Amino acid sequence: MKKLEFPQGRMDCLSRELGAEVLIYDLQRDEGHCLNYKAAAVWRLCDGKRTPRQIAAELSRQFSTAVGEQIVRLALGQLWDAHLLVEREVSVETPSRRVAMQRIGIAAAIALPLITSMAAPTPAQAASCLHNLAPCTSNLQCCSNICSPVLNKCIGG
Amino acid sequence: MDKLDRLGWAEGLAFSAFGVCVGIRATVSGMLDRILPLLPPGWKKSPRGLVQRLYSLIGANGSEGKGVRHLNLLYANNLRLARETDLQAVLEAFRNDHHLYVAGASPDMTFIHAGVVGWQRRAVVLPGRSFSGKTTLVRELLRLGATYYSDEYALVDERGLIHPFVRPLGIREHGSTVQTDFTPEKLGASVGVEPLRAGTVVITEYQAGTRWEANPLSQGQGALELLANSVAIRRLPEKTLLRLLEVAKRAVFIRGPRGEASEAAASILNLST
Repeated sequence: MKKLEFPQGRMDCLSRELGAEVLIYDLQRDEGHCLNYKAAAVWRLCDGKRTPRQIAAELSRQFSTAVGEQIVRLALGQLWDAHLLVEREVSVETPSRRVAMQRIGIAAAIALPLITSMAAPTPAQAASCLHNLAPCTSNLQCCSNICSPVLNKCIGG
Repeated sequence: MDKLDRLGWAEGLAFSAFGVCVGIRATVSGMLDRILPLLPPGWKKSPRGLVQRLYSLIGANGSEGKGVRHLNLLYANNLRLARETDLQAVLEAFRNDHHLYVAGASPDMTFIHAGVVGWQRRAVVLPGRSFSGKTTLVRELLRLGATYYSDEYALVDERGLIHPFVRPLGIREHGSTVQTDFTPEKLGASVGVEPLRAGTVVITEYQAGTRWEANPLSQGQGALELLANSVAIRRLPEKTLLRLLEVAKRAVFIRGPRGEASEAAASILNLST
C-alpha cells in the first residue's frame, strides 16, 4: 500500500492530449505512457498543493458525480509506478487496482483510472532483425540477440 | 578515417533521401551499378559534397595468391560494418545499415516499423517487431487486391499522412531467419504512390493454431503501439510524438492475435471498407 500526501506531476516529460486521454513520453527513461481520461484528470491536478482528498473533491465537481478518494489513490499509485510523479522520500500507500475493482464492482471498473506503458525502442530494436551470419555491429541488430565481436556476424539463432 | 581517405576511390555518389544526406564511395569501378538499386525509394543525387554519413566500400583485391582471402570491406564513417568474401553480403549490410540510418535521422518523415497497404484510399498499417508476421499478412492483403506501400516502414509526415516506402518484400520461409526478396509486381500487386490517411491500424502477431480475434483500442493506446515501433522516438521524441498523434486522431486501432493470414486479411479489409 502506498500513500502520497501532496502529489506533484513531473514537468520534465513530453505530454500531449489526445481527446480525453493523455500521451506522455518520459525523456529520462525513454518510456511512453497513455493515461485514460480518469488517470489524466488526476494527473492534471497533481500540483504539489492538493491532497488526494482535495483532488477527489475537485474531480467530483468536474465530472458532476462523486469520485472517491480511493479512486484517486488508485490513480496516484499507477502514476507513481510509472515514475510520472515527483519522487519524494515519503511512505507510499495506495490500493491496488484489483482491490479497487473488488470494492466497486466489475461493471464500474471501466471507469477506473488506467495507465498503459511501453518502452521506447532503440533504432535497432525498431527495425527488422538480421539473420544468422549477417554482418553486425551490436547484439540488438541480430534476431538471435548475439553479435559475435570476433566475427562481426550474427550467431546463435 | 584518414587512412580510408588516403585510399584510391574509383567512384562515389552523394545522395539525399527523406532529408538525410549520405555518401557512398567504392574502390572498384562498376560497384555503383550494384549499389544504386539498394538506395531508399525516392532518393535523389545531392549536389552537396558534405554528407551526414559516408560509406566506404573496399572491393576484394582481385590479385591471385595462394591462401589469400579476397575480402570486401564496408565502413560507415570509420566503423567497419562488414568484412566478407561474398560481395552480396556486404551489399546487404550496406542496404540494411543506411536504410536504418535514414529512418533514424530523417527530419522529413517519421519511420514506423510496419507493413502498409492501401485499401479504398486509406492506409492499413501493421506495426510490429520482427517475426510478428507483418510481411506474410501484407502479402495476403495484396493477394486480396490491396495496394502495396511497404513491408518495412510506414512513413508519416507532419500531417499524419502515410507515404510509401516501396522495396521488395523480404519473405522468410517457415522457421528461417533468412529473407528472400520478392518484388510486388512479381506478386501481381499494384504499388502505391500517393500518401494516404491512416484508416485502420492493426496490432497483431501470428500465433499458430489461433483464430483471428481483434478488439478495439483507444486512440491513446494505439498511438502508444505506434510509438513502440518508431525508429527515431528516442532521438526525435517531440517530432515523433506529434506525428503519431496526427495518425491516431483519425485512425481506428484494433489489436489481437491471428492464426492463418488469409482469415485475418479478409477480416481486416472488411473492417476497413
